[in-house]
Amino acid sequence: MSDEQSKPKLELIDAAASDDPFDLAKLRVSQDFLEATPVKKLLTTVSVRKPGQQDFIRVHPSTKYRDLVAILELKEDRESYLVNLGAVPEIQSECYVATLFTAITRSGVVFLWPVRVPAADGRTNDWHLSAAMAAEQAMKNWVRVRANMSLRAYEIFLAENQKAIPDPEWPALSFQELCRIAFRARLIDQANHPVIKRLRG
Amino acid sequence: MLDRLPFQHPVAIDFEFEFGGHKSFEEASRSGERPRPVCMVAKDLRTGQVWKLRRGEFGSMPPFPIDLLIAYYASAELGCFKALGWQAPTHVLDLFIEFRARTNGRNTPNGASLLGALTYFGLDGMDIAEKQDLRLRILSGGPWSAEEMNSFVEYCGKDTSACANQLLPAMLPQIDLPRALLRGRFMRSAAAVEWNGTPIDVVTLELLRRYWTDIQNDLIAAIDKDYDVFEGRSFRIDRWERWLAAHNIPWPRLDSGRLDLSDDTFRQMARAYPAVAPMRELRSALSEMRLADLAVGRDARNRTLLSAFRARSGRCAPSNTRYIFGPSVWLRNLIQPPPGHGVAYIDWEQQEHGIAAVLSGDPAMLAAYVSGDPYLEFAKQAGAVPPNATKYSHRSERELFKQCSLAVAYGMEAEGLARRIGQPPVVGRDLMRAHHEINRVYWRWSDAAVDHAVLTGSISTVFGWPLHVGESFNPRSLRNYPCQANGSELLRLAACFAAEQGIEVTALIHDAAMVCAPLDRLDADVERMRACMAKASRVVLDGFELRTEAHVVRYPDRYQDPRGTLMWDRVMRLIAAREAARQGAA
Repeated sequence: MSDEQSKPKLELIDAAASDDPFDLAKLRVSQDFLEATPVKKLLTTVSVRKPGQQDFIRVHPSTKYRDLVAILELKEDRESYLVNLGAVPEIQSECYVATLFTAITRSGVVFLWPVRVPAADGRTNDWHLSAAMAAEQAMKNWVRVRANMSLRAYEIFLAENQKAIPDPEWPALSFQELCRIAFRARLIDQANHPVIKRLRG
Repeated sequence: MLDRLPFQHPVAIDFEFEFGGHKSFEEASRSGERPRPVCMVAKDLRTGQVWKLRRGEFGSMPPFPIDLLIAYYASAELGCFKALGWQAPTHVLDLFIEFRARTNGRNTPNGASLLGALTYFGLDGMDIAEKQDLRLRILSGGPWSAEEMNSFVEYCGKDTSACANQLLPAMLPQIDLPRALLRGRFMRSAAAVEWNGTPIDVVTLELLRRYWTDIQNDLIAAIDKDYDVFEGRSFRIDRWERWLAAHNIPWPRLDSGRLDLSDDTFRQMARAYPAVAPMRELRSALSEMRLADLAVGRDARNRTLLSAFRARSGRCAPSNTRYIFGPSVWLRNLIQPPPGHGVAYIDWEQQEHGIAAVLSGDPAMLAAYVSGDPYLEFAKQAGAVPPNATKYSHRSERELFKQCSLAVAYGMEAEGLARRIGQPPVVGRDLMRAHHEINRVYWRWSDAAVDHAVLTGSISTVFGWPLHVGESFNPRSLRNYPCQANGSELLRLAACFAAEQGIEVTALIHDAAMVCAPLDRLDADVERMRACMAKASRVVLDGFELRTEAHVVRYPDRYQDPRGTLMWDRVMRLIAAREAARQGAA
């Protein structure tokens, strides 16, 4: 081949605008798929429950992620309702007062854990005390909480090698937002709420 | 149209060639010979000038100026350039590759041949029966009458015309030219690899071929005595089921309830339960291995079409039966450098892991790769072994985390991983959970890759090799794609650099290349090849260099894959016994 043939005069097209037709830096396609097509996971379900017996859990350590609330539990229906006692003081006796903790499992499932506080008369109960201790522990460590019927209290199992287990990834939602999702259709704040009507018979 | 091709002499070319005279396509494709040009038709797209050359008229250089070669599967044309001693042009636009790029992941009912591509675009092509008849006559190697040669030239001209006048105008508006040229650049190196071929110990191959049926029977007798599952040459499923039960080995089943006897399952189970491995080798030796198909030329080189860009990932997909790296690994022991030469098998260490770490930017994964032993480091990160653990002190734990890493790289799920490691599903789930927790950045990126593909309808590599998402897609393949397909970019680029430096690359294998060189420059060539692979890594991974490892073999030694040593030794003993018996009888 002549020199002229081996060095073609290229009229370079935009995408390869370089003296070198194989300018690899100019041909790169970004592999940052997160930036190219961002997708957000929507948290649409938050359950209100005790930790599963086999779940290791953590509790959000921030005071912004817990609150003292009144809860009405329909045992037959296995449903818990958040009660605004200011609006419906007449059902106070049907409710229990609990600290609602924000908790998460190892597999990243967020739930709200109601832990009963001592009754107004100051009587304590080992179930409630041990649950509160477990929640306290779970703010720093991965723990498993299991009911021991003979002991009539919860037993707390601490994962021994805490350093090996990464901290949880909490959702970027406020406690209020989590509560709104959890109690979406289960907020009692009016006297004519169907649950109150049912309780009145 | 031509304003989209910034070249002075874009020339569409088609060659007709044969491999030394064969009666069928199959015979020709397993001949292992280099192409021998019969005729050529070229057309300069700017001037419209056409050149028609027959054997004996080719000369020492192309009779036309050319700065862009346009062809359909260009490594064949470039192979003919090599055969003629013609210098290949710098730029290649391969319409086959671009057709694959355009349809990768989509349904192409008529295949990806030139006729298939023409049909895809609603264009008329030559009648397939007529085409096959002419190809067979060409492959016969001659001698041909003048009339026959004229018909070959006419046929060749039709293919050139189909490329230049029909397919190119249909495809060009959507061709991403700069990246298409990069893909075409690889076809020059693919042609070089196909030309070079891998050196084979043909003496041993001949013995293997001679005694293969007897050896298969001997293998059944030798291996099956520990299993008792064969009846004659038939594998009895009920007996296999009994053996599994007796050895307490849980075996995957199909939806129908029958045992899954696919080679994939055997391979996985052989990893988890070493006692299964000899049976897997035996089944493979009996069913898959057709030694007659191994394509070895008269120069003792194994060569076959690399089938570049055939896999969805863009990797090469050469025939499993014709390529020395296709059949069981023990057969690779047939690779032997010629006298005065050496070969080296050079691969990237933990390529997929490294690619995933770099492209996702996951710090834990990157730290694991940089540690030099990503599997042990992963086990350390998970707290499964102490910080001072070594691969010798915690071999089994490392193996579990290695299998987990590989399972992630291949898009496997927890249950599949559990089967692979022969553990209950809960162990697979725990390992996967550890991977998710430690490599969160990677998983976010990997999820985003799948979302991106599904939302935009396609996903591509660093250099734009696309996968289109059709109506039905496999999320596992999509998740797997960035690592596998960018891995193929790495190898293609390294092959380009190597070919352009004159390194004799004899084979490309998934994440590795084999090179051959005279002994006095073997070490230097190995280092040059590793430098090419390092450079390719820096280019694809934005500056990051994946490590490579070289396994060098000098004549008269043969290449050995440790995974196949037992089987190779067993077969060699059987051959020796057969030979001794033959000589005794003589």
